Amino acid sequence: MNDKNANGRNAWDWQTEKKQIPVKEWESQFNWVEEPHVSPDGEQVASIVNSDEAEFSICVNGDVWEDTFEKAWSLKFSPDGRLAVLAANDEEWTVCIDGTEWESRFDYIWGMTFSSDGSYLGAAIQQDGEYGVVVNDEPWESLYENMNHFTLSEQGGSAAVVQVSSMSQGDIDGFAGGLFSLAVNGEPMPQTFMNIWDPAFDSQGKHLAFTIRKNRSDYSIFQVDTAWDQTFQSAWKPAFIENDTSLVAPVRTGGKWYLYKNARPFWSNVYEQLWQIAVHQEKKSIAAIVSDSYGKWTVSQDDRPWTNHADQMITDLSFSEQGDTLCALFKTNGAWTVVANDKPWDLGADKLWKPAMDATGEIVAARFEKQGRYHLAVNGRVAPGDYDMLFDPEISPDGTKILIKSITGGIYSRQVLSVDGLI
Amino acid sequence: MQDSTIENKDSVKTDVIDEAVERGLERLTPERIAGVINQVLAKETGARFKTYIDTCMRCGLCADACSFFLSNDRDPKFSPAAKVKQTLTEMLEKRGNVSKDFLKNMVRIAHTECNVCKRCSMYCPFGIDIAYMMLTVRRICHKLEITPLYIQDTVNSHSATMNQMWVKEDEWIDTLQWQEEDAREEFEDLRIPLDKDGADIMYSVIAPEPKFQAGLIYQTAVIMHAAGVNWTMPSNPGWDNSNMAMFTGDFEISGRLAKAHYEAAADLHVNRIVMGECGHAFRSVYDVGNRWAGWRMPPIELVHAIDFFHELLTTGRIKVKEKYKKSVTLHDPCNVSRGRGLHDKAREVVNLLCDNFIEMTPNKEHNFCCGAGGGVINCGPPYKTTRMINNRVKKEQLEQTGAEVLIAPCHNCHSGLEDITHHYGVDMEIKFFGDIIYEVMEKTIYQGGV
Ligand code: SF4
Ligand code: SF4
Repeated sequence: MNDKNANGRNAWDWQTEKKQIPVKEWESQFNWVEEPHVSPDGEQVASIVNSDEAEFSICVNGDVWEDTFEKAWSLKFSPDGRLAVLAANDEEWTVCIDGTEWESRFDYIWGMTFSSDGSYLGAAIQQDGEYGVVVNDEPWESLYENMNHFTLSEQGGSAAVVQVSSMSQGDIDGFAGGLFSLAVNGEPMPQTFMNIWDPAFDSQGKHLAFTIRKNRSDYSIFQVDTAWDQTFQSAWKPAFIENDTSLVAPVRTGGKWYLYKNARPFWSNVYEQLWQIAVHQEKKSIAAIVSDSYGKWTVSQDDRPWTNHADQMITDLSFSEQGDTLCALFKTNGAWTVVANDKPWDLGADKLWKPAMDATGEIVAARFEKQGRYHLAVNGRVAPGDYDMLFDPEISPDGTKILIKSITGGIYSRQVLSVDGLI
Repeated sequence: MQDSTIENKDSVKTDVIDEAVERGLERLTPERIAGVINQVLAKETGARFKTYIDTCMRCGLCADACSFFLSNDRDPKFSPAAKVKQTLTEMLEKRGNVSKDFLKNMVRIAHTECNVCKRCSMYCPFGIDIAYMMLTVRRICHKLEITPLYIQDTVNSHSATMNQMWVKEDEWIDTLQWQEEDAREEFEDLRIPLDKDGADIMYSVIAPEPKFQAGLIYQTAVIMHAAGVNWTMPSNPGWDNSNMAMFTGDFEISGRLAKAHYEAAADLHVNRIVMGECGHAFRSVYDVGNRWAGWRMPPIELVHAIDFFHELLTTGRIKVKEKYKKSVTLHDPCNVSRGRGLHDKAREVVNLLCDNFIEMTPNKEHNFCCGAGGGVINCGPPYKTTRMINNRVKKEQLEQTGAEVLIAPCHNCHSGLEDITHHYGVDMEIKFFGDIIYEVMEKTIYQGGV
């Protein structure tokens, strides 16, 4: 959580115990109401609504935006509470935020992404069959014949893998020669490769690293302005560490996975799989999801695998803000649970979402679904009550309160509860 | 064209020119050839490979299992064991010092004369998996960069776009929205919910659906809507469940694709993935790509369309208004019959939908491949004539049923069987289960509980 968000959170209403909005009523006013989205502060609940053929709008807390659209999709709240949707009229697409449309128009727009403080909204665009990115209503000047892997930095920088040379159908030699480059803020890097995947910005948004394939069999990592000399059998998304001065990346060689740093072996353990690196720069801690024996998954923090394992899958590895708690979601025998600092909770969830953590990592709260009902768990304890639908919980900046956003019986509720009562 | 017009079948096969193979061969040096072969055989194979090589006693029991052998008048060189002898055995004996002519033949055998259908393994007293052996040969072809052109182009598309048909990101989403709009003619509130977080089901398809057969997505949307299913489709890459890299021996791209597929489902927090009617795609995320990625079994429950339709029909979520009247037969796709044992459920689905079902013989796990599977059809036009010659047994099998309609619950099978019926003039309409369900279902919305 950055300062802007922390300040924003302080301003949220942490006092009122309960606010309610009857969302079910909306159904009688429209042809149909799409799934609800809730603002981070829980004060707004919104849905795309349809009132007639090709007539869509947005209903927020029961009020409908003035504008209607022939098409609308991808409704999202930004982290700072603005409501954005991708919308079209007369076959022209744009972004509409809190009822105000951007000036730019495109033939298509998708992949809406926010910086974590909500200041920047980026999306992939297509105009006259060419592709690029728009950030805060400023489209790239150069567009390309193909584009994938759009990513947005915290500072509003944008990057995407773009095709810089044309290829006739079936020109596999042309493809092998390298048609793809990484465009940063619209400008392609001089280097081209057979494939580029997974661009990652450093924390200042100044440099990038990504995975490349140099030829059909040789993979490597591109770090800032040059590719590592070493080639590998495969590689996954790299991550900047040590105040962005170094780079780590999972690479496969001899059929096993290693963590390399600046093109040299880094962790000494060898893994069956290693991906999804999480970094805490201040704590100088690096973690990854690993398989330390085939078909068994765990988390390795600073090359020390946890004792708990999952048979099926691990996702959503993340550090708390101060770096003292490392959390991940583990799935074994079809059931999900949270594991925090190698301590598993007992949830048996059918679906489970990434937990919220307070800055210290002492409070960890996660929503989950079990047998069709939604529940909240805090520090491993399942809170009383269940819901038709539960949204991401939020923890107050002082770590004493939890904001619960839920729908039951067609009523949306915003509830503030004391953490003490839940753990 | 009838096969009687093909006078010299052998020369039709050996004279095929595939530019990618020719150019790849030109670039090779003897050192590179031996180096790659020995590296793959020594470093990428293990006890399983050695056991198969050492165990085969050339008894020939597998020969009659292979549709290529039967379609080629029992020519011994098409027997499964002979395919191994002509490729791997020789490479082992010569320690990789093989000629470019040898390699050219090897590409043809491994890529176009074996569907990696695994039928022969069921007849081998030792269960030797010839498909695995031929995929090892294809791995060598991949490493030598002599993979046939069309399938390599498909793998290139997979690697660049995460789908096999160069479908661009906006084209995918636009197609879903267009199908949704069209389907609203039938149900005015029908949706194809994009990126619906926490839906029960993520539905995934192969890229030919948005590219050429968008009507299949329409049909699925109608079925899902009528069945009251809480479903979604991802707008992000990972929506394509197909995987030709699995068939070219490009295991690294194959694993990357499976990872993207499961990550798309995990990001949407769904309970399970239901996939459309495709067999090889099922194999790729159930059995192959997932395992390369390190998932012994699918990390998220994976349900093939046959299984899903069975569930919808037997739970009453989809009701049949009136059964399909035309006589139908069923082609059992290798990858979900031998590969997953769905053949009995497939028959139950047929009988729930159709009045007049005629079995094909042989059937179920003993069924012959459609002739297109294993990436063979994806090697493209240069090999089409030989593919037809190699599929005579399948044509005979189809004809013997006398059925008016052939149900093929797999895209590859569908395309391969269409080629066969056109080539040999077999009068048979080919349909997916989805086509028939859409035709016979009651177009009302399920009102029961979840
Ligand atoms: S796997 Fe199938 S096509 Fe290949 S040799 Fe065996 S039976 Fe023949
Ligand atoms: S049946 Fe088995 S042992 Fe006999 S020739 Fe075929 S692969 Fe070899």
